[in-house]
Amino acid sequence: MGVVANKKNKTITITIDGKEITTEYGKTILQVARENDIYIPTMCYLTKVEPIASCRMCVVEVEGVDGMILSCQEKAVDGAVITTNTKDLERERQNIMKLYDVNHPLECGVCDKSGECDLQNKTLEFNVSQQSFTAKDMHRPVQDWGFISYDPALCIMCEKCVRVCNEIVGSEQLQISVGGYKSIIVNTQPESDCVSCGECMAVCPVGALVSTDFKYTSNAWELNKIPSACAFCSAGCELTYETKHESIENPEEKIYRVTNNFEFSSLCGAGRFGFDFENRNAFKDPAKLETAVEVMKRADIIRMSGLTTNEEALLLQKIANQTGARLECSDAYGFSRFLKVYQAASGRRFWGGSLKDVSESDVVISFATRLKDDAPMVKNHVAMAVKRNKARVIYMHPIEDASIQNLVTRFVKYEPGSEEGVAALLLELLTRESEVPDSLKSYIEELDIGNLSGESSVSEEELDAIKGDFWKRKRFTLIVGEDIFNHPRVENIAKIIVAIEKFSSFNVVIVPPSGNSLGVSLICDLSSGNEGYSVGYNCDADFTLSALGDGDLDMPALNQQEGTITTIEKRVVPLHVALGYDGYILNDIAKALGVGSEYTIDLTQELPKEAGFRGVAFDDLEIGFSVAGEDIRGYTLEESESEGSLELEEPEELPSFDGVVVYCVNPPHNPNPFTQKAKLTKMEAKLVGTQQFATAAKLSEGDTVEFEIDGKKFQRVFTIDTSLKGTIALNPTFDMGLSAFTVSSYRFSKINIKKVGSANE
Amino acid sequence: MDLENLKDRNIGEQKYRMLDLEPTPTTGWGKFKRVLRRSVKLELLVGLKVTIREMFKALFMGEMHTVKYPFEKLPISPRYRAIHEMKRLLESGHYRCIGCGLCEKICISDCIRMDTRYDENQRKEVSEYTINFGRCIFCGYCAEVCPELAIVHGGRYETASEQRASFSLFEDMLTPIDKLKEQKEYPGFGAVSPNADENIKPTPLAY
Ligand code: SF4
Ligand code: SF4
Ligand code: SF4
Ligand code: SF4
Ligand code: SF4
Ligand code: FES
Repeated sequence: MGVVANKKNKTITITIDGKEITTEYGKTILQVARENDIYIPTMCYLTKVEPIASCRMCVVEVEGVDGMILSCQEKAVDGAVITTNTKDLERERQNIMKLYDVNHPLECGVCDKSGECDLQNKTLEFNVSQQSFTAKDMHRPVQDWGFISYDPALCIMCEKCVRVCNEIVGSEQLQISVGGYKSIIVNTQPESDCVSCGECMAVCPVGALVSTDFKYTSNAWELNKIPSACAFCSAGCELTYETKHESIENPEEKIYRVTNNFEFSSLCGAGRFGFDFENRNAFKDPAKLETAVEVMKRADIIRMSGLTTNEEALLLQKIANQTGARLECSDAYGFSRFLKVYQAASGRRFWGGSLKDVSESDVVISFATRLKDDAPMVKNHVAMAVKRNKARVIYMHPIEDASIQNLVTRFVKYEPGSEEGVAALLLELLTRESEVPDSLKSYIEELDIGNLSGESSVSEEELDAIKGDFWKRKRFTLIVGEDIFNHPRVENIAKIIVAIEKFSSFNVVIVPPSGNSLGVSLICDLSSGNEGYSVGYNCDADFTLSALGDGDLDMPALNQQEGTITTIEKRVVPLHVALGYDGYILNDIAKALGVGSEYTIDLTQELPKEAGFRGVAFDDLEIGFSVAGEDIRGYTLEESESEGSLELEEPEELPSFDGVVVYCVNPPHNPNPFTQKAKLTKMEAKLVGTQQFATAAKLSEGDTVEFEIDGKKFQRVFTIDTSLKGTIALNPTFDMGLSAFTVSSYRFSKINIKKVGSANE
Repeated sequence: MDLENLKDRNIGEQKYRMLDLEPTPTTGWGKFKRVLRRSVKLELLVGLKVTIREMFKALFMGEMHTVKYPFEKLPISPRYRAIHEMKRLLESGHYRCIGCGLCEKICISDCIRMDTRYDENQRKEVSEYTINFGRCIFCGYCAEVCPELAIVHGGRYETASEQRASFSLFEDMLTPIDKLKEQKEYPGFGAVSPNADENIKPTPLAY
C-alpha cells in the first residue's frame, strides 16, 4: 500500500463500504468503523483493552492488499479503501463460527448467558445450520472459583478474561494453558489474592464465567435493568441493577445481580457483588416520624456518613441552617479541610489529574493510601499504566502491599505519621529541575532534608533512586490518598501538594475518601468535636436515622433512592431506584421542618453553583457512555481559575508511633457496613498482622483481642498473614455498623491491646 | 335498490295446500268419541315406537348411547388443549423440563412462573413451577415452544375446583412416577413432526 507517510496528529480520509470518513491517524479500522456506525462483527474485541486478535472475525478487505486484514489491530491509513462484507469474508466468518461451535454443549436452554451470548448471536447471524468440522470431545469439569464459576466446556478461548485481569485489574490471576483444542483458562491461585472483582466474568462473551450465586436463578431476559452508580467509593462506577420478583411465593422485587457497561468501564467486587444492602421491611409510623422531627429540632449536632447523596447532604445543610445544628461527617471532614486549603492555595476548585491521566502516565507515585483497598478503580488505572506504558510505580506507604507487587517498581516505606515530612521530601524531589518562584525556592532550601529523611525513614538514597525512575519518562502522576486527610497537619500537606502540582511536571490526583465525600465537602459546612445531642444520618448518634434498618427511624439505602453523587473525576452522576421502599425519607423530616421540597431530586438543580455544580435538573442528567466509550453520565463540575496564595509552613516535629500500631482499612470488596450486610461480600472481621506484630503484641494466631480506637471498642480475632510485611496490623471497620462512620482519627493508631481469649480455649 | 322495490311485497305464487284433516269435534259427545277411539287404537304407542325400540336395545341388547357423566366421559381428540401435563423422561424418570424459561417467556397471558436454582448435581433445577389457570387461554404456545416436549396439553378439561391454585403446581401436572409406563406423547402443538428424521443433519464425529 505504501502509505506510511502519514504520522501522528494527521487527519486522514478513508473509505469504508463506500462511505468516506475523515478521522485522525492512530485509530484502528474497527474503531473508525464503530465510531461511524459501520458494523464489523467481532468475537474477541474488547474496547477497554488493547486488541487481543484471537478470533479473526473482524477481517476486512483492503484494496491493494492481499488477503484479509484484522480490522481490530490494523491502524487506518490515509486513502485506504476498505470493504467489510464480501462473499469471501462471509464464508470466512461462517467457518470461524463453525469452529467455535465444535463440541460446544447444546445447553443454551439452561445457560445463564442465553439471550445475551455472543456465540449464540453470531451462530445465528452467520447462519451456521450445519457443522462440518469435528474434534474429539473430552471431559471438562466445572470449576468453582468462589464468587465465580468457570465452565471450560463453554469457553471459546477468546482471552478477554485473561486480558482484563492482567491489563485492567492487574491481578495476573488468570492464564491460558495453551494446547490447541485442549486449551483452557487457568486460575493460578484459586485460593488467594484475586480481588474478586468479577471483571473476568463481566467480559466473558459466553456462559463460561458466571456468578456462582446467580447461576441458574434467572434468565437474562426476565430481569429489569436499572442503570445507576456505585456510591461505595469516590470512583462512582457506572452499574446496572438487575431485578426480578423474588420467587413464586414472594412477589417482592429483588436484585439478582449487578452488571455494567463492561466494554468501556469496570467495577470492583464491592460494586459488583455487594448489591443487596437494601433496607427491607421499612414502614411508615407517623408517631416515629414525629419523634424524629422533634429530635431534629433540638439536635445540636447532625452527623452523617460519606455515603450520602448530594441532595441529602443539601437537605441536611438546610435543616442545620434552620435549626442551628452543626454538621459533622467523619468521612469527609478531614477531606473538606484539605479541599479548602487546597482551593485557597491553588486558586483552583479541584485537582487537575484524572484517572485517564493515571492510566496514560509512565511514572506513578502513590502516596498515603493502601491503594488496592482504598481505591480499587485508581489501582486499576495504575495497572493499565503499568501494562500499557510499562509505567514505573512508586508506592509510598508505611505498609507494603505484597498483593500488588507485580505492579510496583519500588516500595518506599515511611514511618506512620510522617506524611508531612514525606510530602516535603517529595516537593524537593519533584521540583529539582523546575523553575520555582524564589519564595518556594528558599522554602525548599531551608528544609532540613537530612532530618526529614531520618525521621520519616525515607533515605536520601531512596529518593535518588526514585529520581532515577523518572529517567526518560514523560508523563507523571502523583496519587494522593486518604491517610493525609485525618492527619493533624493536613492543611500544610495540602499546600505542599499544591506546590507540587503547580511547579513540578506531575499531574495530581486526589482520592476522596468513602463514597460521596467530595459532594458532602462541597455542599456542607462541616465541623467536628461539637458537644451536645446528636442526630445521625447513617451514622451512629443519640438518635439514628439508619438505612441499615437498625436505627430509630428507617431510611432508604442507596439502591432505593434517587439522587446524585460526586466522583473522583469531579463528575456528578445519578443514582436510580432499583428497589421499592415503604418508609420515610429524609425529605419527609425536612418537609416537616419547612425546608423540604416536593421530591428529593428537586434539589439536584439547587446544588450550590458556587461550589461548581451546574444547576442541571435530575431528569436532564445523561446516563451511559458515548459510542467512543467516554463516560457521559451527568456532568462535570465547573472548574474555576484564580490567583492562589501559597504560604508553606515548616513541617512539624513528627509524632512517634512506637508500640502496637494498627491501620484502619477494609478489603476492596467489603468497604463498609452496607457491603457487610450484603450476602456475598459479608465476612468475618479479623485483625490481620505479621509474625513480627504478633511477637511485639504478644499474640498468637486465633487469639481474641480487644482494643479501642477513637473511643470505639473493637473485639477481633487475630490472625497472621504471611504475605504481609512490617509491624503494623490491619484493622477492618466494616463490621462496626453505623459507628464505623464515626471513626475520625488518623488511620494509624497506637493501641493498647488486650487479649481476652486464645485460640486453644 | 330504491324504496319502491323494498315496498314491493309481491313474493310470487303461494303454493300452500290445506291438509286433509278430519274436522275438530265441537260437541262434548264428539270429543268423548275421539278420545275413546284414540285410546282403543293405541295411537300413543305408534308415537313411542322408536323410543321403545331404542329402550329395548339399550336395556337388553347392550346398545346404550347415554354417557354416564361424570362416571363416564366421551373420548376427546388427542390434540385437544386442556390442562397442561409435565412429562418425564422414560429412561430415567427425571422430569423433562430443563428450566429454560421459554414457556414463561412466550406465554401471552403471562401466567407461567418458575423458580430455578443450581442444584447439588450441578444441574438447573426447577424448584417451583406454576401456571395460573385463571388466566391461561389454552393457546398452546408453551407446548409448542418447549424444546424438550416437557410441557404439553393434556385432556383434563374440568377446571372447576375449590381453589384457584388447584392443578397449577409442578407436581400436579407431572406424570406420577408410578404411571410412567402409561405416559403418552402428545401429538398436538409442538410435537415432533412425522418427518423429523429427514430434517436432521448429522454432525461429523471424530471418533
Ligand atoms: S455459552 Fe452461549 S451458546 Fe453456549 S450454551 Fe451458553 S448461551 Fe448457548
Ligand atoms: S472464560 Fe470467557 S472470557 Fe475467558 S477465554 Fe473463555 S470465553 Fe473468553
Ligand atoms: S466501590 Fe468504588 S471502585 Fe468499587 S464499584 Fe463502587 S465505586 Fe467502583
Ligand atoms: S396455553 Fe397459552 S396462555 Fe396457557 S400457559 Fe400456555 S402459553 Fe400461556
Ligand atoms: S419450555 Fe419446556 S423445558 Fe423450558 S421451562 Fe418450559 S417446560 Fe421447561
Ligand atoms: S476482533 Fe479482531 S481478531 Fe477478534
